[in-house]
Amino acid sequence: MIDEKCQNLDDNELVALSIQNSQYFYCLMKRYEDKLKGYVHRLTYLSNEDVEDIVEDSFVNAYLHLNDCDCDLKFSSWMYRIVHNSAINFIKKQKQSLRIEADESDDELVDWLVADTNIEKETVSKHFDEYIKSILDKLRPEYKEVIALKFFEEKDYKEISDILQKPMGTVATLLSRAKIQFKQIYEKENKY
Amino acid sequence: MKKKINISDKTLRLIEQRQIKPIPRWEFIVKNWSIWLGFLTSLLLLMLGVAVSWFGLIDNIITPNLWVVVSIIFLTMSFLLFERTKKSYRFEKWQVGLVIVFVGLLMGGVLFRFGVASRIDRGMESRFSFYRQMVPMRMIVWNNPESGYLSGEIVSIYSASSFVIKDFNGKLWNINGNQPIVRGRVKMVVGEEIKLIGTLVSGDTFDAEEIRPWDGMGQNMMKENRY
Repeated sequence: MIDEKCQNLDDNELVALSIQNSQYFYCLMKRYEDKLKGYVHRLTYLSNEDVEDIVEDSFVNAYLHLNDCDCDLKFSSWMYRIVHNSAINFIKKQKQSLRIEADESDDELVDWLVADTNIEKETVSKHFDEYIKSILDKLRPEYKEVIALKFFEEKDYKEISDILQKPMGTVATLLSRAKIQFKQIYEKENKY
Repeated sequence: MKKKINISDKTLRLIEQRQIKPIPRWEFIVKNWSIWLGFLTSLLLLMLGVAVSWFGLIDNIITPNLWVVVSIIFLTMSFLLFERTKKSYRFEKWQVGLVIVFVGLLMGGVLFRFGVASRIDRGMESRFSFYRQMVPMRMIVWNNPESGYLSGEIVSIYSASSFVIKDFNGKLWNINGNQPIVRGRVKMVVGEEIKLIGTLVSGDTFDAEEIRPWDGMGQNMMKENRY
């Protein structure tokens, strides 16, 4: 079956074959379905139904634009870009704001939050649900996007740059500003 | 238990049922090339606009306002079109803007140095009658025989290429020329106000290479300056 043939093919080979035969596109969808659902869910905190609608629309959109797939990039970056844009458009239409669903088990995120600050790691872990989460929610949307890709999807700067279509320098700046804003809100809210 | 929806199956079914096909490659090629072509055309027009602006600002022959506006329009268009290219996001916006401005100023300067700007200005003047009204000549330039520019009123005519004019300071000039080019509607009659491009031969003798009518805003300026 095609499923078996797909196993030995990389993403770019599957893209080329998908243009002729939609069955190969099925393999690509299977490869990314869970990752993309997880990403949209953590970025938007929407219902399962909405998340699935966004991913499905993104797959159809990607299939339509296969001939425009930028093969200089990783297919995953291109696919994440489409899903990301669909999710942002959906959120805008619904007049909702981005939310990032994080918890104390996100070690890398916790380490990043406490690095270069005087916030104790234990404090962050202990009070994650209590107030750390709400501080993350108060960050500017562009900061949340970068945090979600960096810590939940474990993308490097180049991939984040390709997904968000921003220069790598801007990605680094956004991440550093996110930290500054997090620290400011944390200090303000812990004054009392 | 709620059955887990498999998005891949659902999407594949949708693609097959609706017979969705990928958009042909040529459509994307045409789109991408159109953006690049638009960008390069805008950049070229920016360079030409800057060249004529330099011509107005440095040689001080024309008022460059219109060309400065033209340059700003094509600078904006170049920036917007570049931002629509596929890989533009890899560069900071300010860097893109700065490079376009730098290239425009530099290449505009080169084109100006090679005389392209004055040719554009003359070409526009001969092709479009309204051009000189929009881009008037600077009055002072046409009273500068050392630089090859002279203007005045015809006071006597010996032949088509030999006549006398009185400049707006009242000085009489003997004009000679070897079949000078006549541009625009110039009536070679006494009382006609004209502009000349040529070479100063001596204190009151000027060799004309080109004769133009004194029209547009310059005409009024000349009359104002006469008194």
